[in-house]
Amino acid sequence: MSHEPAEAELKDLITIEELCFFFGDNQVLKNINMPIRDKSITSLIGPSGCGKTTLLRCFNRMHDLYPNNHYEGRIRMENRNILDKGQDLIWLRSRLGMVFQKPTPFPMSIYDNIAYGLKLKKITNRSIVRDLVEKALRQANLWTEVKDRLKESALGLSGGQQQRLSIARSLAVNPLVLLFDEATSALDPISSAKIEEMMVELKKDVTMVVVTHNMQQAARISDYTALMYLGSLVEYGETNDIFTRPKMKMTEQYVAGHFG
Amino acid sequence: MNLKKLPNSIFYFLTFLSAVGLVVLTVGLVVTLAVESRPAFQRFGFFRFLLSTDWNYTDQIYGALRPLTGTVLATLGAAVLAVPVALGISVFLTELCPHKLKSPIAVAIELLAAIPSIIYGLWGLFVLAPFVETYIQPFFSGTLGGLPWAGGFFQVRLAGGLNLLTASMVLAVMILPFVASLAREGFDQVPEVLKESAYGLGATRWETILAVVWPTAQKAVVGGIIMATGRALGETMAVAYVIGNRHGALDSIFSPYVTITSVIANEFNEAGPIQMSALFALTLALFLANLLVLSLARYLMRQK
Repeated sequence: MSHEPAEAELKDLITIEELCFFFGDNQVLKNINMPIRDKSITSLIGPSGCGKTTLLRCFNRMHDLYPNNHYEGRIRMENRNILDKGQDLIWLRSRLGMVFQKPTPFPMSIYDNIAYGLKLKKITNRSIVRDLVEKALRQANLWTEVKDRLKESALGLSGGQQQRLSIARSLAVNPLVLLFDEATSALDPISSAKIEEMMVELKKDVTMVVVTHNMQQAARISDYTALMYLGSLVEYGETNDIFTRPKMKMTEQYVAGHFG
Repeated sequence: MNLKKLPNSIFYFLTFLSAVGLVVLTVGLVVTLAVESRPAFQRFGFFRFLLSTDWNYTDQIYGALRPLTGTVLATLGAAVLAVPVALGISVFLTELCPHKLKSPIAVAIELLAAIPSIIYGLWGLFVLAPFVETYIQPFFSGTLGGLPWAGGFFQVRLAGGLNLLTASMVLAVMILPFVASLAREGFDQVPEVLKESAYGLGATRWETILAVVWPTAQKAVVGGIIMATGRALGETMAVAYVIGNRHGALDSIFSPYVTITSVIANEFNEAGPIQMSALFALTLALFLANLLVLSLARYLMRQK
């Protein structure tokens, strides 16, 4: 555990309060209370079906694309409850970037992929766009690999590169939070390591919430870890504490690999 | 031979036979068409037959150009009318429609596809043709018909409303469900996660459709549209009722005209030997046109 515990408590960027989520009548999140601290990485771990991805998708209201589900409770961010019925989802989603398990390059050039989010925000000044595209690609550690072929289709990149492209695309619009949904689980170890390295560097700019199956990854990169089980939050704390001196018996068993 | 394996072998043989049987049937069809159309090609010459506008019963001279252009133009006209509507339907169903409305609309489309072609023909004859005659023809000849050079293409040639445009309109309604459902299959192939990542950047539905859904689905959708439109090439009864069946000049969208299938349907019963052979030659041409369209559609749909 190379990780140092945070010296001073970071401020809470997001607070989840009494969050419940339902698919139809089926309750899949049960009274979740936890903070997401600013400029840090928070890992959500737990066995398949525990609700960690469902929780992640509450932050940018991705569930709203599908019928028959509803939220209860609150997710507070910037003095508002983002679960409010009247919440502007377009605005919300441009503040919280999301990276998926599979890379999702759009069928357009590398450059246009990154510029796409800027275009949505009506940022069209060419030199500004060019600078922001370069900055995002640098942040995602992709710039040196693609700078000579920005006009080529993004579909020609390798899987790892496509995933970093997806991250760069989210970073270009300068989000408050990046949500990672098993973003490295489909990649080879080297590509995966590159992304982990990048995430740690990114911490100074952006807050990250990471859903992962890989407990070593959670231990390596995250400052805070939340263990979920059957839709409930079992334990939340500093990553070091969760892995070395958990308060709950279940956490101890899970991080030791006894179930999951 | 192992007795345990016997049912397996029998099953294999039966499925193999069915598949091969179909190929044999198709080959037999082509051979028959080729043999039967040979006298016409020999008498008139292959290219002369294809490029001649003659259809003369007294002198027994036949050419394929009018039925061929009629078939192609009626189909194109149907595509022009049906494709925008079908695209609208399929985009609505895959991207915009509230979930509760999805299956009623899908069922309505499928039902439209289940109506027999003769019904469409009768509807065209008794409902659509009078409508075209009373409203559409006067409208076009009164407006576009006054244009200096192209005006003639919109003037009325014969009363009754039985003409190329009416045939295209009937065909458009007939292929609409097929075009819509194949286009929808194309749109359905766009991975959910790709759309989610566009929404995740703060894109609206419309922006997501333009940037991600359409470019990804494009080839499959166009392939599906072509495949579905291809059905119009061989459509017979409905067209035979409304196209007017006249081997005359095509100088207006309101000209009564012929298609390959309407000629076959009308003349097969009373055709003399050489005329019969010409009809077979037309069928061969239709078969080849269909093959071409299908191959193009399959090629596009296989592209990633």
